[in-house]
Amino acid sequence: MTQPVSPARPVAPKSAPSRTGPKAFRPDIRTLSLVGVLLALVLIGGVTQPDSFLDTDNVQLILTQASVIGVVTVGMTFVIISGGIDLSVGAIVALASVWATTVATQDYGFAGILFTAVVVGVGCGLVNGLLIAYGGMVPFIATLAMLASGRGLALQITDGKTQVVTVQSVLGLGERDSYLLGIPPLVLVFAAVTVIGWLVLNRTTFGRRSVAVGGNAEAARLAGIDVRRQRLYLYLLSGLCCGIAAFLLIVLAGSGQNTNGNLYELDAIAAAIIGGTLLTGGRGTITGSVLGVLIFTTITNIFALNNLQSDVQQIAKGAIIVAAVLVQRRTSTTSS
Amino acid sequence: MPETTSRRGLLFGAAAAVTAGGLLTACTSNEPKGAKPAANDKPADDKPGKHVTIGFAGPQADHGWLNAINDNAKERAKKYSDITLEATEGSNDTAAQIGQVETLINKKVDVLVILPADGKALTQVGLKAMRAGIPVVNLDRIFNTPQAYRCWIGGDNYGMGLSAGNYIGEKLKGKKNARVVELAGLDNLELTKQRSQGFDDALKNYPNIRKVARQAAEFTVESGQQKMSQLLQAQKNFDALWNHDDDQGVGALRAIKQAGRNDFLMVGGAGALSAFQAIEADDSVLKATVLYPPTMAASAIDLARALGQGKGVSGMAEFEIPAHVTLFSAVVDKDNVAQYMPTGFK
Amino acid sequence: MAPSPPLLTMSKITKSFPGVRALDGVDLEVQAGEVHCLLGQNGAGKSTLIKVLAGAHQPDDGTITWRGERTALRSPIAAMRLGIATIYQELDLVEGLSVAENVFLGHEPTSAGFVVRGREARTTTAALLKRLGHGEIDPARLVGDLSAAQQQIVSMARALSHDVRLIVMDEPSAALDPDEVDNLFRIVGALTADGVAVVYISHRLEEIRRIGDRVTVLKDGRAVAGGLPAKDTPTRDVVALMTGRNVEYVFPDRPVDPALPDPVLTVKGLSREGEFAPLDLELRPGEIVGLAGLVGSGRSEILETIYGARKPSTGQVTVDGRVLRPGSVRAAVRAGLGLAPEERKAQALLMLESVTRNVSVSSMSRFSYGGWLDRGKEREAALAATRELSLRPDNPSVPVRTLSGGNQQKAVLARWLLRGCRVLLLDEPTRGVDVGARAELYAVIRRLADEGLAVLMVSSEVPEVLGLADRVLVLREGQVVHRARAQDLDEHDVLDLVLAGGH
Repeated sequence: MTQPVSPARPVAPKSAPSRTGPKAFRPDIRTLSLVGVLLALVLIGGVTQPDSFLDTDNVQLILTQASVIGVVTVGMTFVIISGGIDLSVGAIVALASVWATTVATQDYGFAGILFTAVVVGVGCGLVNGLLIAYGGMVPFIATLAMLASGRGLALQITDGKTQVVTVQSVLGLGERDSYLLGIPPLVLVFAAVTVIGWLVLNRTTFGRRSVAVGGNAEAARLAGIDVRRQRLYLYLLSGLCCGIAAFLLIVLAGSGQNTNGNLYELDAIAAAIIGGTLLTGGRGTITGSVLGVLIFTTITNIFALNNLQSDVQQIAKGAIIVAAVLVQRRTSTTSS
Repeated sequence: MPETTSRRGLLFGAAAAVTAGGLLTACTSNEPKGAKPAANDKPADDKPGKHVTIGFAGPQADHGWLNAINDNAKERAKKYSDITLEATEGSNDTAAQIGQVETLINKKVDVLVILPADGKALTQVGLKAMRAGIPVVNLDRIFNTPQAYRCWIGGDNYGMGLSAGNYIGEKLKGKKNARVVELAGLDNLELTKQRSQGFDDALKNYPNIRKVARQAAEFTVESGQQKMSQLLQAQKNFDALWNHDDDQGVGALRAIKQAGRNDFLMVGGAGALSAFQAIEADDSVLKATVLYPPTMAASAIDLARALGQGKGVSGMAEFEIPAHVTLFSAVVDKDNVAQYMPTGFK
Repeated sequence: MAPSPPLLTMSKITKSFPGVRALDGVDLEVQAGEVHCLLGQNGAGKSTLIKVLAGAHQPDDGTITWRGERTALRSPIAAMRLGIATIYQELDLVEGLSVAENVFLGHEPTSAGFVVRGREARTTTAALLKRLGHGEIDPARLVGDLSAAQQQIVSMARALSHDVRLIVMDEPSAALDPDEVDNLFRIVGALTADGVAVVYISHRLEEIRRIGDRVTVLKDGRAVAGGLPAKDTPTRDVVALMTGRNVEYVFPDRPVDPALPDPVLTVKGLSREGEFAPLDLELRPGEIVGLAGLVGSGRSEILETIYGARKPSTGQVTVDGRVLRPGSVRAAVRAGLGLAPEERKAQALLMLESVTRNVSVSSMSRFSYGGWLDRGKEREAALAATRELSLRPDNPSVPVRTLSGGNQQKAVLARWLLRGCRVLLLDEPTRGVDVGARAELYAVIRRLADEGLAVLMVSSEVPEVLGLADRVLVLREGQVVHRARAQDLDEHDVLDLVLAGGH
């Protein structure tokens, strides 16, 4: 009883001494399994519709359709990593898209539309952030309230009418003439947001703090991080992403409608979860989330090309969420 | 969920058939159209009669078609000096709407016009009004039992499909192995199935035509763009497209433009102003649309007035108004679009 | 005690969690009809032991004998079937259900296998409550509407609704008023008279004297004494067992010449209503000051208030002559304070992250330009800091959760070392650290002080405070009752001071 036990018990499994140098890229097993799922889908698409699935047009189409929800998902991923949730993303997209397409706003042309969409998105994010960070509201409730009032305000602005965009420079961005080297501008924006999101999460203090707040808010606070301000910034970021997404949607659909962004909150959360983001916070990747979005978009595309109807699509979507999460859990438990 | 209810509003949103107006008024007018247009402008019976108070309860106007319903009812009522219209604030909440109708019953209005948020759920309050001796004109979304209304007037979803199918069939007559694509509305709704059924039934008369693809959008511009671009990718060539709803058609047209396609004929559905304008301009693939007329609200006011004054429908032999009026889903194309332009909704 | 075989014998129970050995060969023997008290500091292993007893944790090693037969408590239900019931400190009642529904949760009297016979449940519950001296509680009331004391009675009624032979009570008196405590003791007396055994956990020694038969003392996951007579063992002996050392540590030497510079930290009149009385304290670079006191003496609260994690009622904290904004952790960290909190996993570590990230979290601005992290520099700095503290393994990219308790603590220290902090606040620095690794940690702390850090440490282990600190403040019930140089005190002096008055 008085004998000291062996000093500092051995740690962890046999980690080889040469364990990956600082620069080595360690492909995450979760991410790899998602890439595998995506490749399997590409295979299915290629086999079932060899003519229409694997051509440039279709790749452009899939990426374009992924871009709006993709941008929203990047913001959502940050929020979930920090232990929060943003149920209002769809409503913010709707509100920003209708506010930016009113007759009055359209008078200011391209810049007016872009500016309004972004400002409305950031403004809604600010309200969310203040309520949650400084008002002490639970994110679920605060953003649920924003969902309700955002949709309501969007309806009030449109009066239920479809606001068609007449600004040619905005419309032109969604059309073939403006593709750069075959890449639609919407996809370029999506790619840029993804890369920036990845860098911010992995290479900046902001990203670190987001992960720390989500992993252990109390520890983050006692480590000297301003947890409340960080939370405020995170909802601002999500709002900003919604604003950008709203602009992309205006370009894509050529109009603003109060029904825009329908159920985006669920799609974005689902994509993030499939991508390996922990719903309780503290862990998640932008790459995973974006792969999640691409998987969903590709599935939808394959279904449409095969002329399957929406009932089948919905059933399959649910099954794929379950399957993806199960596969991930298996691969991650066997690897650790 | 707010979206769901608001979409529910829109599904009924589709077009306008003036033939019904013709039935009631026995004439169409060529007078210059007012700025706030409704059905054809001529009231049913200009001679003022007994004063009638009409209670009007509709759903929340969260969609163009429902807005048009409200406007049609209000504008029509204004044209009669012998009518007072008691319109409630629209609501998508069944309980709230029941409350509003009950208030109207308590106010002892002479006739009720009800467009229920949910036909089944408001049946009871319809029955209550009838029992209280207030005749009910049931607009579009039908109550569970005929006992709950004196007269039902509404659109014909199956008929829309038929009209669209027949129009396309005639246009493609003589073309061998013609291919047709359908962009349906929200698949959860019975009316979407009815429209598709009518469309399929009509196409059966044209053995040269085959429907090669169908995708369901959600009555929204966004979904219209999305689903249409998928359809265009899936079907590299086809001859005609029927889109159930002009609102989602805005998105569908956008997708068609983005894909740079113009090798087919498109028919819309509902009767939105933007569709009429496109048909008139004749610079896109949209050549026609089949109606689901919001002017039915104006006719409902006519019917309510006739009920209140104990009259029949002029131009018909009976002393009473009919129990059911199903509106015809007319086809609007370049030839007759001018006539319908005022009924187009935003 | 009776010569009959014991009701329960737990022998050489061992249980490890990642990073710490919570139980290290614990023996416990309980006789039918006795009140067996379990004593120990926070983290001594009491709660792990009762969770093993309740079937909630499975031991890694050791045997459990129940009424003469070897048994394994595979699940809470298995334990309950044998007649072992546990009343946790955090009551596990469903607030939205009625009293009767809670009492019979999981074993409702039913007809045809599924129709709950509510009336029967209510009558039985009423009878149980009456037996517990609380006939006034209506079995149909919602548990959420009851007071804490009443909820505890309900929890006990639930235990009694089974055919119970052993009840474990985890600090049952903590939430009770004195007269409610009397009722509790009456119930305990009645139960033992019926032959039921009670395992009673409490910090309050006077309670143990009143109702206990025998005492087992846990420390650092070991039973340092088993089956002591509860009434006759001197208090000081019991406390010495709880707070004393069971390993002869070599504490690092103190500097010979304590010519210290001006204080870096000055605390003036700092207090928190209901937690601790106004406190004055000066801390100079290079010295280690220890706060000694029992649980509830306000020692952790003092540290956390100085650190800004709690807002003071009165007083101020000054660092280098600048007054800190009260209640702001950020202000404290900026001024050069660092805290290694008591609950390392809950309050300090990001368990999913690597050691590097845990170390760098408080000084990220030093490796970033406009928010952009230089990860190479970060890694180097973290590696340097962990090397300085001889953190094992020598690879800061491993997840911090895979580290032992002592190395996790070093990661927290490295965090503040890297930050360049000047005042280190250590709350129970060796809590959850394996006994063998403590000496090394002591050496590290002394070295940091020698390098110019001011250290304020809290420990419930008196020898640790005396061995490591230069000066000692003894706390009792939120008051500083004595200040002295550590050399001038011995364990007995401190125990007398800590226990003076009440006990």
